[in-house]
Amino acid sequence: MSGRALPLVSALAALALTLALAAAALALGGYPPGEAFGALLRGALGSPQAVVSITLVRTVPLLLTGLAVALAFRAGVWNIGAEGQLYAGAVAAVWVGLHAGALPGWLAVPAVLTASVTAGAAWAAVPALMKLRLGVGEVITTLLLNFVAIDLAAWLVHGPLQEPRGVFPQTESIAEAARLPLLIPDSRLHAGFAVAVVLAAVLALLLRYSRVGFSVRAVGASPPAARSAGRMPVGRVVAGAFLVSGALAGLAGGVEVAGVTYALYENLSPGHGYTAIAVALLAGLHPVGVVGTAVLFGVLEGGASAMQRSAGVPAAWVDGIQALVILSVLVVDRVARRILVARGGRG
Amino acid sequence: MALDDARLDAWAGEVHAVLGENGAGKTTLLSALAGLVHPDQGTLRIDGREVRLTTPRRAWHEGIGMVHQHFALVDAMTVLDNLALGRRRGGGFRLDRPGLAREARELGLRVGLDVPLDAPVGSLGVGERQRVEILKVLLRDPSVLVLDEPTAVLAPAEVDGLLELIRRLALEGRAVLLVAHKLDEVLAVAHRVTVLRRGRTVLEAPREEVDEGILARAMVGAEPEPLARRPGPPSDRPPVVRLRGVRVGQRLRGVDLEVRAGEIVGIAGVEGNGQRELARVLAGRRDPHEGSVHGPDDPAFIPQDRRREGLVEGFSLTENLALGLHDDPTWRRGPWLRWSALRARTADVMDTFGIRAQGPRARASSLSGGNQQRLVVARELQGRPRLIVAENPTRGLDVAGAAFVHRTLLDRVAGDDPAAVVLLSTDLDEVLALADRVLVVVRGRLHPVPPERQTREGVGALMLSGGGVGP
Repeated sequence: MSGRALPLVSALAALALTLALAAAALALGGYPPGEAFGALLRGALGSPQAVVSITLVRTVPLLLTGLAVALAFRAGVWNIGAEGQLYAGAVAAVWVGLHAGALPGWLAVPAVLTASVTAGAAWAAVPALMKLRLGVGEVITTLLLNFVAIDLAAWLVHGPLQEPRGVFPQTESIAEAARLPLLIPDSRLHAGFAVAVVLAAVLALLLRYSRVGFSVRAVGASPPAARSAGRMPVGRVVAGAFLVSGALAGLAGGVEVAGVTYALYENLSPGHGYTAIAVALLAGLHPVGVVGTAVLFGVLEGGASAMQRSAGVPAAWVDGIQALVILSVLVVDRVARRILVARGGRG
Repeated sequence: MALDDARLDAWAGEVHAVLGENGAGKTTLLSALAGLVHPDQGTLRIDGREVRLTTPRRAWHEGIGMVHQHFALVDAMTVLDNLALGRRRGGGFRLDRPGLAREARELGLRVGLDVPLDAPVGSLGVGERQRVEILKVLLRDPSVLVLDEPTAVLAPAEVDGLLELIRRLALEGRAVLLVAHKLDEVLAVAHRVTVLRRGRTVLEAPREEVDEGILARAMVGAEPEPLARRPGPPSDRPPVVRLRGVRVGQRLRGVDLEVRAGEIVGIAGVEGNGQRELARVLAGRRDPHEGSVHGPDDPAFIPQDRRREGLVEGFSLTENLALGLHDDPTWRRGPWLRWSALRARTADVMDTFGIRAQGPRARASSLSGGNQQRLVVARELQGRPRLIVAENPTRGLDVAGAAFVHRTLLDRVAGDDPAAVVLLSTDLDEVLALADRVLVVVRGRLHPVPPERQTREGVGALMLSGGGVGP
């Protein structure tokens, strides 16, 4: 995983490669690629309503988890656990949201979001501690904690938090006051989108220009140099980036609950936290780039069901296309690097 | 544009030395031989036959073996396993460890390369690691052996052994290509010399036709000033740093040391005797397990491994300079670093320290070794630190680069408000030339060298004997 500072050209090349491979695969599968892509694009972008209520709504969790992954990777923390942190955030958000009726209206939404942020950070704190105190690699621990979080959510909606009639495996809806306001009236696009875009901008500015962002980049690029030449507290920087990454992923869960589903149920996330890795890598781990790639993946996922309806291509193909994106990014990154090395040798 | 019209001829049975300043293109030229870099123009012939070395493996099949300046060893694996990695010959899936061990031991014995086969590479010092590298390449019995600055990490006694080894390998009928930065070593061992300057071959001559002056002039275009410093009277200023009873694991034991402003204390020793730990304790980069350290808050530290510890290669020059300034409120505004001011400062520093680069935004990885070291020195010395800890600061540098570092250190101990300098080096000549007083470090203990024994032979003997006290 070395998608550092992938320039725009490489990102576009990766995209072109993905499209070519996907078209070839569709053709092999017996589906006319043009028709399938056309249906996908119409479904995702065909009308203002589709763009706003389908694609951008789908973009929000990808954007937040994508930022979470990008930040962690920039700090040299391989957080594969955005999915679990998202679920932790969703659980906390629902729990607070269910009890938020008693809160004054202006406090309910912040309370729900704060709960999700805190829970996401707490879920990330476990692997962070294991990494820093015991030297346990975070790739394994964050990945495994995903399954714990997913199963925890499943157990909650079958047990303690199940809606009172006990029919559906989901919670009751959260209090009206705890729901995110809509960004555009008569659409499904909620304020979480604005929050996510602002966070991307803030993160980009911090990483590029601030002292703390500089520390994160230095620690991610070379811990020995950060420690020795930069006199930076490497462990604290790693811990901080890890927790903030978890908090962002937790917020994705909170925003989904407070803005889209209003309840917790099984399979709340169709793997946003994993897709986020592709989102972040394709963006070259740059927060502003993540906005672009998150929208791109929002288009893919938003158009998937339309593609299934009108072109008869199963929506699962979109998962395959997303996987192709990761592979293309890695291949293009390597090739670009090789070209660079061949052009400019060192003296 | 690392190379432009470079030529090189190597003959079987000859040692051919390649000289040049940092950035002259030595490493690039040799990398082309090793199949790592592909020339845009020009030809390569082996035994008169034109070949194209598209991959390192092709180079190997043509009988070219390269010992790199930066080692390619797996720390977590034992020496023997690392040797097995370099091998890939016969045996199908089976790895004949005992056979390989026997072969390695015999070869080591024959050429005088002593390495502990069962030790993990991570536990070895740099000098030992290099011996492993050389042994790894020799096991493949190459007809052309390329050595990129092999003596840089060795102690004097080891250097003599290596030069002897190089001579013997050439006698066996190999062509040996040697990149070295020390002229006396080159002159002692080479049959033929090539000098590169800015990517061009500016001199090619048999050994008999050159001397140090000719080579130095060919390299830099002018003769560098010889280094001269007479140890001053003992400094009567208060100590800047004071260690008492310092212990770090088993690596450093019972170390007492005081260094005063205005003096350069040289610490000599064979690699792996505790210098690494001592340097880091002195520079405030780590705490000892036992004992006390009193020193300034913000000592300068020039680590020997600039690419790992001294710099972030993926960062720009400005960002690398900022590594030393981000703590300082003058370079911050609220949570933000003042990048435009930092860039201007970097441009200044590039001027002052003669750093050749495209500009403050250039990446550190694009600099030659000498320019990288100038950048590290510039960053560490910019705040007029009271204590400077330099660990093999001229390792891998050419004549001009080393002279620059030496001049800079000498500057800082002169004048009204001098700094204290600790110079830890495996290069005995460097220590003797610069230091006011010399100590040797042997197996984690420090031994002062009496003034009358501050000679190459005297210090060299102490380095190996354990300070004359015995273990």
